[in-house]
Amino acid sequence: MNPTTSDAICFQPPGLVEFPRAWAWQQQLQRRLLEAPSGPDAVLLLEHEPCYTLGRGADPSFLGFDPMAPPAPLHRIDRGGEVTFHGPGQLVLYPVLNLQRHGADLHLYLRQLEGVVIDVLVALGLRGERIAGLTGVWLDGCKVAAIGVGARRWISQHGLALNVDGDLSGFAQVVPCGIRDRAVGRLVDWRPQLTLAAVQPLLLQAFAQRFGLRLRPPNPQESLQGW
Amino acid sequence: MPALSSTMTEGKIVEWLKKPGDKVERGESVLVVESDKADMDVESFNEGFLAAVLMPAGGTAPVGETIGLIVETEAEIAEVAAKAPAAPAAAAPAAPAPVAAVAAPASAAPVAVPAPVAVSAPVAAPAPVASGRVVASPRAKKLASQHGVALDSLRGSGPHGRIQAEDVERALGLTVAVPRVAEGSGPAVVAAAGNGAAVSAPAPAGEAFGRPGESVGFNTLQNAVNRNMVASLQVPCFRVGYTITTTKLDAFYKQVKPKGVTMTALLAKAVGVVLARHPQVNAATSADGSAMSFPAAVNVAVAVAMEDGGLITPVLANADKTDIYSMARTWVDLVARARSKQLQPEEYSTGTFTLSNLGMFGVDRFDAILPPGTGAILAVAASRPTVVAGKDGSMRVANQMQVNLTCDHRTIYGAHAAAFLKDLAQLIETNPESLAL
Repeated sequence: MNPTTSDAICFQPPGLVEFPRAWAWQQQLQRRLLEAPSGPDAVLLLEHEPCYTLGRGADPSFLGFDPMAPPAPLHRIDRGGEVTFHGPGQLVLYPVLNLQRHGADLHLYLRQLEGVVIDVLVALGLRGERIAGLTGVWLDGCKVAAIGVGARRWISQHGLALNVDGDLSGFAQVVPCGIRDRAVGRLVDWRPQLTLAAVQPLLLQAFAQRFGLRLRPPNPQESLQGW
Repeated sequence: MPALSSTMTEGKIVEWLKKPGDKVERGESVLVVESDKADMDVESFNEGFLAAVLMPAGGTAPVGETIGLIVETEAEIAEVAAKAPAAPAAAAPAAPAPVAAVAAPASAAPVAVPAPVAVSAPVAAPAPVASGRVVASPRAKKLASQHGVALDSLRGSGPHGRIQAEDVERALGLTVAVPRVAEGSGPAVVAAAGNGAAVSAPAPAGEAFGRPGESVGFNTLQNAVNRNMVASLQVPCFRVGYTITTTKLDAFYKQVKPKGVTMTALLAKAVGVVLARHPQVNAATSADGSAMSFPAAVNVAVAVAMEDGGLITPVLANADKTDIYSMARTWVDLVARARSKQLQPEEYSTGTFTLSNLGMFGVDRFDAILPPGTGAILAVAASRPTVVAGKDGSMRVANQMQVNLTCDHRTIYGAHAAAFLKDLAQLIETNPESLAL
């Protein structure tokens, strides 16, 4: 793995977080790095209230409902990719990194995020797969992790969502990531005893290792607004 | 189109955050580019105004393609808009691009395939900064500092990852492709005539606008050149060649080169001075073919090939009266602005005589196609050491170059052309120092 290791601030907001709050936090962290690009990377690990998000260029025809009357809040956000669903039982990892320190290559970054999930699956004795051209992580043909990122001056936002034990019915009302013929899966269907709490440390550890980061809790002056 | 990744070949424009005419601050996001599941805000490295959007939202463009133009002043917006009216139309074939983009996950497959390798060796990827030291060419460093590009954010395409000027230009994304011919003399006239192969000498590989098996539409500039070249078929042209000894000119050039004078400026000046004495060769047949028009000034246009196709002919106005030092400075400015497509129409359309120089490629002879509205164009080949026989049977080595004058026979006759060339040769062979006066 990376020979050099630097500090990254790790935020783990408890409970279910509404999407706009988490987005505002990412923006706050992104602004911090834009102003001081040599500052520490940061990562948010959390669970969302049920919601749908669309990438900036997403096609609304993949929504199975009226966008004016969505079954859960719908947000069009500054990431790539099509529609996806977030909700309880899904771990969401939002790295806010200065990608210039991590290869300055958005495709490589996507592959590294996939690698993080694949490492988690390995720790669980599962073999996750990449499918060429379909960013995300797949288990027996089912998509267990969705990935979508955005960057400004190589400072990243958004990231990956790993379905652990949540209710997947939210996905049924959309065409997740615009892919019609492939199912969405969750880890608990392969490892019935698995809990969210058990996956959290695996995910953080895999992330830290892949990106050569040493995760630490925030200092008092590094707090997020409105936490 | 900036490269968001080393493996990225094209990107989709998700959204223009600015409209043409909008003010753009330095560092402000201008558009959003998407490639795979990643979005990147693309910022302007300069303060200015978005003058034109060449690729609309939803369109896909190859990395390095010009997708929009940013100008410095509000006044230039209208100028760019007037000059590039065909641009949105040219971009029209890209309209079905959203379809292609939806299909992208499949076609992007080759990109994803080598990925596991890249992931297993994440350290290898950021090669340019691996040692913490950025290796860049001087021109790349200068460009980067001019445009506020962080060199350590770039991926060098040069040897051992050295960052080249082109890498900086590519990173700028919003800049316009520069002419391949740095000095600004033009293969373009010949290239348009179908002899493009002659141009291939200096580059490691010949330039091509398409890949084998492809059919590539002409761009706006190429179409304009095509119209002009086809129009020349209506003109009864003839050609006269002359071999000029340049030993003295070359020596003089060495003297003035440190003062910034280029060979292009010297040749344009020489042609200008001789044209002033041969107004018939500076004249042209009127558009309706009823008269000979004699321009009030001697304006020498010099053909410049554009890297992205087509050519432009910046004009050195009053070439007979302007001193070579000012002319050299003017030429540098004209070429720079031709690169960024910021020339005013009168700066490229008011030539009364055209010069096309392929000398820097080592070409030993060629002829040029007459641009409409003018009476003659001079094709200048390379100057080369040649064994010259004297009338007395003596032999010596002298630098010689061939020039070839293409004329509209309605206005310029063989005798006019010959007299002009003889005079030009005499000036260059015997008295090049007078060009500095």
